[in-house]
Amino acid sequence: MTELLIRNACVIDPLNDICGEVMDIAVRDGKIVESVGSGAEVIDAGGSLTMPGGIDSHTHICGTKVNFGRYMSPEDMRAGRTARRGHMHSTSGYSVPTTYGTSYRYSAMGYTTALEGAMAPLEARHTHEEFTHTPLQDMMANTLFDGNWPIMQAIHDGDIRRAAAIVGWTLSAVKGFAIKLTNPGGTEAWGWGKDVASIRDPVPHFEVTPAEIIRAMIEANEMLNLPHSVHLHCNCLGKPGNHQCTLETFDLVPNANNKRQSLYATHVQFHSYGGSSWRDICSRSEEICRAINSKPQIVIDMGQVMFGKTTTMTADGPMEFNLYRLYHNKWSNHDVELETGSGIIPVYYSRKNLVNSIMWSIGLELALLTDNPWQCILSTDNPNGAPFVKYPEIMALLMSKRYRNEIFGTVHPDTEHNVPLAAIDRELTWNDIAIMTRGAPAKALGIEDLGKGHLGEGADADIAIYPININETDPATSAEEVIRAFGQTDYTIKRGRVVCRQGTCMVDGKNTTIWVDPHISENYSMDHDPEFAKNFDRYYTVRMSNYPVQEEYIRRNLCIETEAQL
Amino acid sequence: MKINDVVCPFCGCLCDDLEITVEHNRIVAVDNGCTLANAKFMSKEQLASPIRRTGEGWENISYDEAIQYTVDMLLDADRPLLYGWSGTHGEAQCIGVHVSELVGGIIDSTTSVCHGPSILAIQEVGHPGCTLGRVKNRADVVIYWGCNPLEAHPRHMSRYTTYADGYFLQNAFRERKVIVVDVRETETARVADEFIRIKEGGDYAVLSALRAIVRGKGDVVPESVAGVSRSQLERIVTLCKDAKFGAIFFGLGLTMTRGKYKNVRNAIELVDELSRHTKFTITPMRGHWNVYGSNEVFTWMTGYPYAIDFCRGIAFYNPGETSAIDLLARKECDACLIIGSDPGAHFPRGCVEHLAEIPTVVIDPVPTMTTALADVQIPVAVSGIDADGTAYRMDGVPIRVRKVIEPTLPNDREVLKSIHAKMKEAKGQ
Amino acid sequence: MKVTLEVKPRQKPYLPIEAEGIVPRTFFEGTDSLTVFRGNKELPLEEIFNVAIEGEAESVDEVEIIILGDSSRIKRVGEYMDGGRIHITGDIGMHCGNFMSAGEIVIDGNADAWLGREMRGGRIRCHGSAGDYCAAGYRGEKRGMRGGTVEVFGDAGDFTAETLAGGSVIIHGNAGDLSGVDMKEGELTIMGDTSRACANMSGGMAYVHGTVNDMIPTFRKIGQEKVNGEPYTRFSGDIANRGKGTLFIRNYKYLD
Ligand code: SF4
Ligand SMILES: [Zn+2]
Repeated sequence: MTELLIRNACVIDPLNDICGEVMDIAVRDGKIVESVGSGAEVIDAGGSLTMPGGIDSHTHICGTKVNFGRYMSPEDMRAGRTARRGHMHSTSGYSVPTTYGTSYRYSAMGYTTALEGAMAPLEARHTHEEFTHTPLQDMMANTLFDGNWPIMQAIHDGDIRRAAAIVGWTLSAVKGFAIKLTNPGGTEAWGWGKDVASIRDPVPHFEVTPAEIIRAMIEANEMLNLPHSVHLHCNCLGKPGNHQCTLETFDLVPNANNKRQSLYATHVQFHSYGGSSWRDICSRSEEICRAINSKPQIVIDMGQVMFGKTTTMTADGPMEFNLYRLYHNKWSNHDVELETGSGIIPVYYSRKNLVNSIMWSIGLELALLTDNPWQCILSTDNPNGAPFVKYPEIMALLMSKRYRNEIFGTVHPDTEHNVPLAAIDRELTWNDIAIMTRGAPAKALGIEDLGKGHLGEGADADIAIYPININETDPATSAEEVIRAFGQTDYTIKRGRVVCRQGTCMVDGKNTTIWVDPHISENYSMDHDPEFAKNFDRYYTVRMSNYPVQEEYIRRNLCIETEAQL
Repeated sequence: MKINDVVCPFCGCLCDDLEITVEHNRIVAVDNGCTLANAKFMSKEQLASPIRRTGEGWENISYDEAIQYTVDMLLDADRPLLYGWSGTHGEAQCIGVHVSELVGGIIDSTTSVCHGPSILAIQEVGHPGCTLGRVKNRADVVIYWGCNPLEAHPRHMSRYTTYADGYFLQNAFRERKVIVVDVRETETARVADEFIRIKEGGDYAVLSALRAIVRGKGDVVPESVAGVSRSQLERIVTLCKDAKFGAIFFGLGLTMTRGKYKNVRNAIELVDELSRHTKFTITPMRGHWNVYGSNEVFTWMTGYPYAIDFCRGIAFYNPGETSAIDLLARKECDACLIIGSDPGAHFPRGCVEHLAEIPTVVIDPVPTMTTALADVQIPVAVSGIDADGTAYRMDGVPIRVRKVIEPTLPNDREVLKSIHAKMKEAKGQ
Repeated sequence: MKVTLEVKPRQKPYLPIEAEGIVPRTFFEGTDSLTVFRGNKELPLEEIFNVAIEGEAESVDEVEIIILGDSSRIKRVGEYMDGGRIHITGDIGMHCGNFMSAGEIVIDGNADAWLGREMRGGRIRCHGSAGDYCAAGYRGEKRGMRGGTVEVFGDAGDFTAETLAGGSVIIHGNAGDLSGVDMKEGELTIMGDTSRACANMSGGMAYVHGTVNDMIPTFRKIGQEKVNGEPYTRFSGDIANRGKGTLFIRNYKYLD
């Protein structure tokens, strides 16, 4: 039995309605408890801001595509190298760090849980291998179903139950966590070098539309009783005028679940553009947020862009090719048979560039114009909008109008004619930030009942203590202090152990993989479906028996078993 | 006992449909595999215990002694090299990285003698690729450039291209055009629909010419480029542009000939150019079984795919300087651990001589050409036969290889784990 | 200030010594604990060199480092150099003058590979020959050398001035294969012969006063022009890469 007592913690824990109360936190064997004995190890927080460990509900840090981002970028690798030291392995990389680099840097910022944004089922083993080497965060994997052949066929045949059964089988087989749709239908069209132009544009050969895929997957998601909702990267990413597509997509979403949203729309910044070309692109964040404010069934994350170098990587193959034609920089693409695609290119977001300045502004507007912070989660779609180490700066931008104005003064001068940002006075509070980085992602992912994202009794003792006193610091006027404090915790505690102390990781660590296993009746089990098996072995290049991810890859894991209505 | 869907541990195709018959813990038959696979599964003469060189010959030593020898050798060296890795599984490669980092050495895989140049090219311009199933189901034009799959990857054409029917090609052999580009008429060239013979060292020029023609600037191209007529080049470009889905596969004929990585870069940029007109992809024909896995593992662990120098604590990458061949030829390392490859059989003479001069340990189940250069050899179980683990196919698809018989020897990861543990102990950690 | 570093004999003469600390600024600012590396072993400078320092310096530009003896395996000398002078009396190892921004390096003998890699300014003069990747860039980086001058009086190896993006490179002898490959800006001059010059170039200017063998077939012939009174062919390209570079070549041969 190990016990820990954190004294004088100034706690913000939105899921438990605690906001700035100075209290003690007791921990036994990795869980929060009512009280501990006198022999417990004591940490005196001295009134510092203490929150549940951070949760990143959309980030690209493990798997085939991410690793290819590293592989093709020795120039990025040399931009962030550290040597082996104590318990810390050597690290490399700035925008796509090595797994240890990612893990240590997230941990230093107080993050203890992360969802990998896109995993191709066929290459799931790779993602899980990298999870193993990301020791200080519990991990989950969004599983890609945007161009899945048997699912598109089932949808075409109007058999949503079959589509759900295939999703369920696949999630269990690859140890995935949730349904991810990246440019649904578009990744299959990209198999012919094409894309879909709107949510009504049918996928070549399969004759289903993105709208049909999205709606069917929302229905299937609820049939499977999955903890998270469908996680959608909308069609038409990054295209001027795409707000129309985003709004139409939002209109498809029923209010199908009373515990959480029915759709999680990711990196909405990239989907909120007005105009018809790069010359007249403008922000449509106001309309997007009006829709969100009237639809409690939708939760988004920002996809904030920050200025500087980064690497874009997504399953959205055709979009990356458009970026390549724009920048003429190096371009990688990786299509995955029967399932999905992906692309990677390095970018530089420049404050001198009007389009980039508008993008920067839109991300902030989304967070400031969404009334309910539970509906807008902080993200950069790491590393697409910026590497996650920029989060503290984003927090400061949201909390201080003054700081925002200061930066706004440095961007392209025409920006103000194309965005509403300058007129927005809202400044987010400490509690808002805690919601956007802890409570909301936990709730949206459906893992608050597993003890994530809060500090109630029985919760996992994942705790971040930041070197800042919120009663003495006015974030509206102290941006620098906010950035410094959120950049490095005094203590990051994971499962009751101090894993990181002022930026230095203290343990080797071992994380938990959280995955789902929907229980499906025999009738709907793909293991006993001769048609599914026949097509599998005919069209895949891996045998069906070699496809599932074996137990060896998820040594420490937490399986969420659900009862599917199938 | 028959075991189905066994994964082959020999080449980068990683065929996973083999059928192995085992009797009394011995493999007695291999079905579905090519001749290379058969040879791999049926080979027998494993060493029974570690051996150490004496004045006259070899003596048997225990695993403990062999591991201690390895640890001492690595710790004594100023610039040790840990080389090989393509014959072993990913979990062992991970520990290999930990060992290299701990001792402050250089870790490199056989990549540097096969597709290292492909990686250098990808690092300059990226890589438009796909999994092999994407090609099987869709490609109506396939180009083999500087490679001879019938010899080096015998089932590549039957599983993924020429003879493989797919979803959109019900009769692949008829509906799919196969083009071979090479300096000599190989066996593969003889079964192709079109063969382009290039003068030795002329690949780069031909690729440039193709790119210009795709761009509509064929008028600058001379009548003949490296032995290929402009009209043939124009015909090929039309064929490619008319394709619904084109796939290029390339081999050592591109990576290891004059210009090396710049050849590959040019081929990738040709695919980029074609992608403006239709769908095109390119894939390196990775040879040694799990060599691609070594690149994947090294990349997520260190940031770089091969040739990583930890001597200064942080990872430094500069193939041409930190790659095994260059280090050995220039005598820039002073001890060597070799695992999962046989440099004694493939390396240039100068490299082999230096290996013989410095202390060298080999981890390998069977006596090889490298044994003759080594001071100690540690036999291990074979990944994919009596050891399981992860391997990556040439297109990046990870597959778990099985253990089809019970091992009598420890496997790579166990031996490396002991080395790592002993080393930590010696360093007082 | 004059700093004389004389290389001592070493037990393992082939193992490289990494000595990025050997730049004028280090000595200008004081050097009590300067170390160099033999593989993973950190050693005091004095273990590898006999060190003699004479005189004082008011600025970094008044520091001259003289390297005597066999320095052919000493790497990274002059890395990030920002003033002063280094005089190498023999051969020098890889990466001499990496990222240099000012000052001068003079090499009496030969230089190994990556001489002046990613140089920003200053001047390197090599009186012997240079290895591969002379005045080139780094793996994966789009832009290589960006400023300054590299002058080699002997020959240069393959990939000379690869991804050149500024400054000038002059090779008095022959240059190896693919000189000026992927260059973007700047000027490359080769007095002797080379092969496949400036393949895939997107910009910049190159002169080859000898013969280009295996000329890249995708350069557009602009016409004959006189350079110093001699007839040259002017090319523009590389058309395969949408390039707008300019090439002046005395003689050329295609691989046809
Ligand atoms: S082609 Fe390669 S992987 Fe397939 S059976 Fe032959 S050797 Fe094994
Ligand atoms: Zn994303």
